[in-house]
Amino acid sequence: MKNTTLAFLFVSPALLFLLAVLGWPLVQAVILSFQDVGVIGSEGHFVGLSNYAAVLGGGGFWYAFSRSIVWVLGNAVVQTALALVTALILNQKFPGVQIARTWVILTWIVPTVVVVIIWRWLLSTSGGMINPLLIQAGIVERPVGFFAGRDSAMASLILINSWRWFPFTALMMLAGLTRIPGDLYEAARIDGAGTWQRFRRITWPLLQPTLMVLGVVGTLLSFNVFDVIWLLTAGGPSGGTQTLPVLIYETAFKGYRLSEAATISVLTSILLMGFAFLTTRAMTATEASR
Amino acid sequence: MKRSWRQATALFGGLAAIAIIIGLPFWWVVTGSIKLPREIIQRQPTMFPHSFTLQHFEKLLQASDFPIYLLNSVIVALFSTAFTVLMALPAAYAFFRMEFPGRNTLYRTILLAYAFPGVVVLIPLYGLFAKVGLIDSPAALVIVNVALALPFSIWMMRSFLATVPREIEEAAVVDGAPTTTILVRILMPLIAPGIASVAIFAFISSWTEYLFASVLIVSDARRTIPVGFAGIIGQYQIDWGLLLAGATAAIVPVVILFALVGRWFVSGLTEGAVK
Repeated sequence: MKNTTLAFLFVSPALLFLLAVLGWPLVQAVILSFQDVGVIGSEGHFVGLSNYAAVLGGGGFWYAFSRSIVWVLGNAVVQTALALVTALILNQKFPGVQIARTWVILTWIVPTVVVVIIWRWLLSTSGGMINPLLIQAGIVERPVGFFAGRDSAMASLILINSWRWFPFTALMMLAGLTRIPGDLYEAARIDGAGTWQRFRRITWPLLQPTLMVLGVVGTLLSFNVFDVIWLLTAGGPSGGTQTLPVLIYETAFKGYRLSEAATISVLTSILLMGFAFLTTRAMTATEASR
Repeated sequence: MKRSWRQATALFGGLAAIAIIIGLPFWWVVTGSIKLPREIIQRQPTMFPHSFTLQHFEKLLQASDFPIYLLNSVIVALFSTAFTVLMALPAAYAFFRMEFPGRNTLYRTILLAYAFPGVVVLIPLYGLFAKVGLIDSPAALVIVNVALALPFSIWMMRSFLATVPREIEEAAVVDGAPTTTILVRILMPLIAPGIASVAIFAFISSWTEYLFASVLIVSDARRTIPVGFAGIIGQYQIDWGLLLAGATAAIVPVVILFALVGRWFVSGLTEGAVK
């Protein structure tokens, strides 16, 4: 049977399409980074590594890089904590668990722009719900401008993005949790292990592989988040929330320095690929040593 | 399994907390969209609306470009969904049910697509689309949306294909049915939930896509909801009533879709993660 030919026939539409729409532009981005193209459509000349020298020598790239690290770490901590608790709850048996598992992902299926409107309004100093609540609770005295300072804007964005993504992460963790055999808990219960002990000795260690995969995937996903940041703060105030994707967008489509943007893109991609490569290597190494 | 009352309270408390964190913002937005403007910006916000008006929705449908954005979004999302399913299905079948050289390498390479920020691809893609006259065309958005949804869609089909016993295909082969017939007649009905999952994923990712739509579409009349809407936010005087009504209107289609097939999507998501 000419199964191989058929298989290639099946994968080739998807493969060729991805190659043309994602693969080829990536090659173009690399070429662009060695040229001096400004506005889109203008001719470029080969300039060697001078773009790289300029980007790596300037402060903008490194500052955006540091903000990206804060962004990724903040999201990782907040999302993991929220998602783990949610996943543990959704892993219980109770009436309506299926409905809860389905609708928990509501924040993820609405357009980002809706998320942006929701939180701009709730956090706004006039008419927003959050400020009066905080004042009533005695936490603050006057309305807080959540997007006014560099760090408070970053923190607000991290919380908003986590709100959007934690249900998705929770469902991924839930998949890992349902894989843990129920007899283990039963046996532990018979041996007199309490809730905390069962979590500490069974759930936590057996969830490690899932958590590690999520760590890598989640880092890449949240690193690449653009629209929430752009629509809420556009990278401000004074660059406080300008992560690398925002910097690339701004350089290319607001500053009209295409080649410079391509250079930052290539450097960013190298960083991400390096991260993905090293972490997956480390993961396979720990798997092997077990 | 019996629970002590303490465990039951913890479970209930946790569920309530999740419901509040996720649901309350939506509640405020949806109820806000039917409040009078002065109640919306009132210093002491109300949990339940004290006033009722449909003026924001009227304005949204009559005085703003929202209906056009909505129509554009629906068209782009439907085409993106159709093409994603058409390409993901055979590819997933080949990846998870057939043997061919380079299979694993190709599969991994495809998933690598998510390692890059979208904006990296956007810059050269803009140039390429400009050359072939695809700037400001809905087709450009469909192309991009399909490419962004494909890798994940292929991955998601995995768990659904795994639920189909191989014997069914083998029996069909013995009967002399050609492979394409097996795929269409026998496999398709069995993996219908998987197809629904892929479709809903493709629809949602197209429905929410902002980055590419913001650059590849130039004229206001061709904008999709995310970009068109963002333009309204940026205006000097923020009309919250209008925005809340728009947000509500943008939530409704995906909620309806999700009510119909969301169950399959979530099971595809969670079971796909199980190797």
